[in-house]
Amino acid sequence: MENAIVMKNVCKDFKILNRHEGLKGSIRDLFSRDYKTISAVKDVSLEIARGEIIGYLGPNGAGKSTTIKMMTGVLEPTSGDILVNGVVPYKERTKNSEHIGVVFGQRSQLWWSLPLIESFRLLRDIYMVPKKEYEDMLELYRSLVDIEPILHKPVRQMSLGQRTLSDILAAFLHNPAIVFLDEPTIGLDVSMKSKIRDLIKGLNQEKGTTVILTTHDMGDVDALCKRIVIIDEGKKIYDNDIDHLKSYFGSYRTLRMRLSDDTWEERVIDESKEDVMDIIMKKQKEQKIKDIQLQEISTEEVIKKIYEGGN
Amino acid sequence: MSTNTITKQKERRGFGFYARIYRKILVQDLKSKMSYRADFVISTIGMIMTNLSGFVTFLILFKNFPSINGWDYHHMLFLYGFSLIALTPVQCFFDNNWNLRFQVQSGDFIKYCFRPINVFFYFMSEVFDVKGLGQLAFGVGTLVYAWVNIGIPVTPLVILKLLLFLLTASLFMIAIMNAAAATCFWIVGSGYVMVIMFRFKDFAKYPSNIFHGVFRILFTFVIPIAFVAYYPSLAILESDNIPVLTWCAPALGVLFFYLSYKFWMLGVRKYDFTGS
Amino acid sequence: MNLKRHLALTRAGIMESLQYRLGTAVTLFANLIYLVLVYFLWKAIYASAGTDVVNGMTFTDTMIYLILATALFNFLEMFVVWDMSRSIQSGKIILDLLKPMNFRTYTFWSYSGSHVVLFALTFVPTFIVVMIVTNGAIPMGINLLYFVIATVFALIVNFSMEMIVATICLYTESTWGINIVKETIVLLLSGASIPLAFFPEVFRQVVEYLPFRAVYDIPLTILLEKNGTDTLEGLLPMFGLQLAWCVILTLAGVLFWNHSVRKITVNGG
Repeated sequence: MENAIVMKNVCKDFKILNRHEGLKGSIRDLFSRDYKTISAVKDVSLEIARGEIIGYLGPNGAGKSTTIKMMTGVLEPTSGDILVNGVVPYKERTKNSEHIGVVFGQRSQLWWSLPLIESFRLLRDIYMVPKKEYEDMLELYRSLVDIEPILHKPVRQMSLGQRTLSDILAAFLHNPAIVFLDEPTIGLDVSMKSKIRDLIKGLNQEKGTTVILTTHDMGDVDALCKRIVIIDEGKKIYDNDIDHLKSYFGSYRTLRMRLSDDTWEERVIDESKEDVMDIIMKKQKEQKIKDIQLQEISTEEVIKKIYEGGN
Repeated sequence: MSTNTITKQKERRGFGFYARIYRKILVQDLKSKMSYRADFVISTIGMIMTNLSGFVTFLILFKNFPSINGWDYHHMLFLYGFSLIALTPVQCFFDNNWNLRFQVQSGDFIKYCFRPINVFFYFMSEVFDVKGLGQLAFGVGTLVYAWVNIGIPVTPLVILKLLLFLLTASLFMIAIMNAAAATCFWIVGSGYVMVIMFRFKDFAKYPSNIFHGVFRILFTFVIPIAFVAYYPSLAILESDNIPVLTWCAPALGVLFFYLSYKFWMLGVRKYDFTGS
Repeated sequence: MNLKRHLALTRAGIMESLQYRLGTAVTLFANLIYLVLVYFLWKAIYASAGTDVVNGMTFTDTMIYLILATALFNFLEMFVVWDMSRSIQSGKIILDLLKPMNFRTYTFWSYSGSHVVLFALTFVPTFIVVMIVTNGAIPMGINLLYFVIATVFALIVNFSMEMIVATICLYTESTWGINIVKETIVLLLSGASIPLAFFPEVFRQVVEYLPFRAVYDIPLTILLEKNGTDTLEGLLPMFGLQLAWCVILTLAGVLFWNHSVRKITVNGG
């Protein structure tokens, strides 16, 4: 079966004006033609199978949004090929958008002053969703989350969590093949986060929707993604299973020891270089150890290491 | 395993589709506006004030100067009313142009690019400005008063002509505002272009034969304010020797509107969306 | 008062305005076209009148008055009302109120930078062009100094009016309506669209005591040395009126603002 998304050697450059500092610099910029080229995405190739949930990660300014914008047809790549559902997104933006759903950051795409149900009805008409499919989808929504309290509320009166929920529901409404979620849980409280993760997972399982998830929250990644792609400074630096990622840094573990004075000592151990038992024994000669814990390194810490250039 | 709609062939989105969507958005929008009555009242007062002030300016001018370029009070009033009506569509249906700049700068504009419908339509459909109707009422009143005083006969043909040329005139104003708003895709801080273009409309109510030389061409074909009232209204005011440009106006209006639309859409494409 | 801190805001404002270089160029160009429109309209009006002087104003006088009024308008234009309504909607207003500087002072000095840029880029060039074209119609003497003083007063009066209207926005979401009412009244009654000299007698007598006149009409009247402003006896009442309105409006604005903010904080806005 053909892949949901195929990217081949995609690059994207931006031309921006070289600005100078200070008041004098500002005046000079008034006449300056001094542009510089910034490569936001460098030679990225990627294949995403149908039904996958992919974590698309990277530090701020790494080129995540630019990639998403190219996949959704908003930006044209400088070079390289992109196929989304077999469509070149930039050339056929309208056709492409029939089969994708997008939730972009905290920007609501719903009609600000309309109750959610009216936004749904408008979207149903815009995407020409058959009545039956629409009803089924609403039924599915009801089974996954409690939508009744927000259904008749104007979006402008909603809390951030309710708004995010609404935006995600709206993005899935026309049963798209692919949904792009850009930081869907940003700024939400713990219970809302898990609610939203459950919803995404449920929709993915029920509808087989491919989900591209960009986030800074490793909780999202752990809960949802099997595979992650990491991009930094425009380059793809990691593309594999999340388990593999841990084995990538798998030789690292955190050793915690409770000492005689009831304090916990903590250290990260690289097992390829030192042995856990050695360390414990060495310590035990100095003082009594009451308890030990051995923890797998968290995704969060792995990612941090990768961002910091521990490649 | 997947029930996705990829292979499903959908019907084309034609005029009927867009009309239906617009009507639905409009109905919903009006419903929600009803709940903000204070805003409606204040806006309406504002609209009446602007029109009243424009009218006062006009009266003061005519108190000092009895005619302008051979146009007497009632003929000028006719032009005035005509221009007000012609400005109504741009006010009612294309008012969201004023928000374009902010949405482009903040990056919020991107949301219009994710739907399988025309971006221009989607953007404009979001705002229907009720205030424009107050202006319409003012314009109709002025036009009728001038019409009666000039003594233009009322025949079905004249009414038909009036409607056609009012529609024509409004297309030019829409085109001007579209183009002015679209400059924000290229130029940061171009908000003033819209402000000044909107002020140009105040000059639409004067006979354009006051312009000479290269500026006459400029205000006829580049910034077509001569078409917002002057040329179209000649079709009603003059019985014979109607200028060629009057007859060309409908076609030109469509052309200008189309060009401004293309320019606007070019801006959407050109815009880099780095605003995030 | 820490002037250095305030001037830092001015400097930031200047730099920010200059960032929009294309925007600035387009603004200049659009203005030029607008002035051409004004020129043709009044040329036709005077040609139709049959006399050279109407209400004590020659065609040249009227042109200078209107062109410079437009230039003043561009230079004085502020978007305090819009900024305010946006920052209320986004909740940014809370941050603004928490700044270690009085909100009113902060706003005033933030705008001062763009005022400086606009004065240099729009008003001064327009003034020079008008001066050369009209060839001596603008008196060149001490009146220039008086004009600058009057402009500073105008700026303060204008700012105070903006702030009062912006404060109203704390109560209603209808920014558009509020703003258009303000703009309409100011433009008409300040003489920016038609010189006050053309107004009917009774109407004019009322308008002459209103604050709007202090924004455009007084600086321009002083610049053109009309209405006896070439003598001290003529000049002082003008300045007196401006000063009086500066004080009244500033006071009213501050009181209104403080009262409103207190109300918001109580209600938890």
